[in-house]
Amino acid sequence: MASENNDDDMGLAMSSISMFNKPSNTSDPFFSSGWDPIVSQSESLAGSSMASHHHLVMENHGICGTSHVSQYQPDPSFVELVPKLSSFDGGNFFQMVGPLGLPQCNQIANNRCPPNYALYVEGGNERGLTNALPSLDEHRISEEGLVGSSPNGMIRKRAPESDSPLRSCKNGDEEPRMDLSSEGCDGRKEQDGKKQKIEQNTGGNSRGKQAAKQDKDGSQSGEAPKENYIHVRARRGQATNSHSLAERVRREKISERMRLLQELVPGCNKITGKAVMLDEIINYVQSLQQQVEFLSMKLATVNPELNLELDRILSKDILHTRSGSAAALGFGPGTNSSHAFSPGIFPGTTSGIPNANVQFPPLPQTVLDNELQNLFQMGFYSGSTMDGFGPNGLSSLFRRSIKTGDVMRKKLHKKKEEEA
Amino acid sequence: MNKYNPPRMNPSSLRSRFATRFLRSLSKINAKKPTASSSSPTEIFRRYRRIKVAADKSMAYSVRSRRTWSRAMLWKLRTRPCCRRSVKTSTIVRKTRHEKQNKNTTTTTGEDGVVFGVEADELRELVPGGEAMDLYNLLDETAHYIKCLTTQVQVMKKIADFYSP
Repeated sequence: MASENNDDDMGLAMSSISMFNKPSNTSDPFFSSGWDPIVSQSESLAGSSMASHHHLVMENHGICGTSHVSQYQPDPSFVELVPKLSSFDGGNFFQMVGPLGLPQCNQIANNRCPPNYALYVEGGNERGLTNALPSLDEHRISEEGLVGSSPNGMIRKRAPESDSPLRSCKNGDEEPRMDLSSEGCDGRKEQDGKKQKIEQNTGGNSRGKQAAKQDKDGSQSGEAPKENYIHVRARRGQATNSHSLAERVRREKISERMRLLQELVPGCNKITGKAVMLDEIINYVQSLQQQVEFLSMKLATVNPELNLELDRILSKDILHTRSGSAAALGFGPGTNSSHAFSPGIFPGTTSGIPNANVQFPPLPQTVLDNELQNLFQMGFYSGSTMDGFGPNGLSSLFRRSIKTGDVMRKKLHKKKEEEA
Repeated sequence: MNKYNPPRMNPSSLRSRFATRFLRSLSKINAKKPTASSSSPTEIFRRYRRIKVAADKSMAYSVRSRRTWSRAMLWKLRTRPCCRRSVKTSTIVRKTRHEKQNKNTTTTTGEDGVVFGVEADELRELVPGGEAMDLYNLLDETAHYIKCLTTQVQVMKKIADFYSP
């Protein structure tokens, strides 16, 4: 009896998971539409005596037809499993799905279900399922172990997981099936605590798929409010109001973005606090824009003896020089490393000019020019932010470069005149 | 040992797209000017403006319409007052409607709007097209904008260094 029930569980799990599998690549409304008739169908089956095999087959075919079956492989096997719903008690439907939902999901994710289904079909009867069970047992036991543990603990462990990949896992490949299975579990029936446990398990497993946050209010379970698409679990001791949940998600997204920006903006690793960080970002953007203006002014004043060859050489040089070179120049103002590095760049450009009368600049001049670059690169930034931002040698650099940077000074003056 | 090995650059990267476009427009600008009056401040100023516009335009075109800020910048550049085209009137009409829509959507809801009130507004002014975005998208656009600005600065710096060693 127990084994038969087990087989029924497996059969039902198989069929239910095959239901899960079916609309896996479609959007959620399709899934919901595909799920409902199946659930209601199973319920009706369980409640009453079993309908005819053909009737079921036809209905299932219909269901298969409505949802997107193109991605769904084991159609015939799925159909054959359906009659096993007959001896099933509808009240325990989700109970049985729960512990096995996870291993099935895993298997689906690993794309191993179709061969299993084939095995079951060939078995022909419920005994065949038991023969195929051992392959699943390892998964089942592990998952059941997880299921047996306290839901709170497991979910709390998984809640950060579900939250953090929110922004990135919009195209979660292996997860959508689990998402949909959890949504299926969420979906239409509110049965008992076990069902909620299942929800939590699968919800904890799922990643935030489509950022469309629909039902945020906990309509599914009274215990913890869950969203359909981004499964956010209210942490212990926090308000479970739907609005606060949404706010929390939003805040986490924003902090994620701030972290990204922190990496982009140089020198912001130690800054904590959003307001200060935003100020830094603003200053950085302003300095970059000023740099662009200054450089365009510089290009305007430069008298180019342009040849097309120069353009080609220049573009090649620009494209081939790594961006790291500028940064490397920027941060080694007086050290030997920059001395060694800079001539590597300049011969690349100067030797390429066919008819220019440019002598190869002496080393100190080159270094000073580099320092000028560094200065302007850093000076714009540090000038607009706090003082003493860069290394201590910056002020001396500044003084030295001012003496030697005549051309630059003239251009600066011109710029100031014209802008005043 | 010369360790300067030019690595294979992605030909369709942002940097290459911007560099080619900008160099093209730069050569056009330089080809236009008569060498006689090139040193007068007004002429230089005009060239500066043109070069700056060219730089912004090439950057925005390199990003196409994938980003809100690039769309806003392109749009701003198209409806500049010195742009004398007959299409101007229709674009202006669209602009006012667009502005109205911007104003309607600027009202930030939620507590984050309160926290970042002043700085967010400043950032919105800096990033083109930032008026109509909520904070999250604004930060997203800012990140991409910073990346593009740094690319722009690097390329222009190399060009400038090339012409005036």
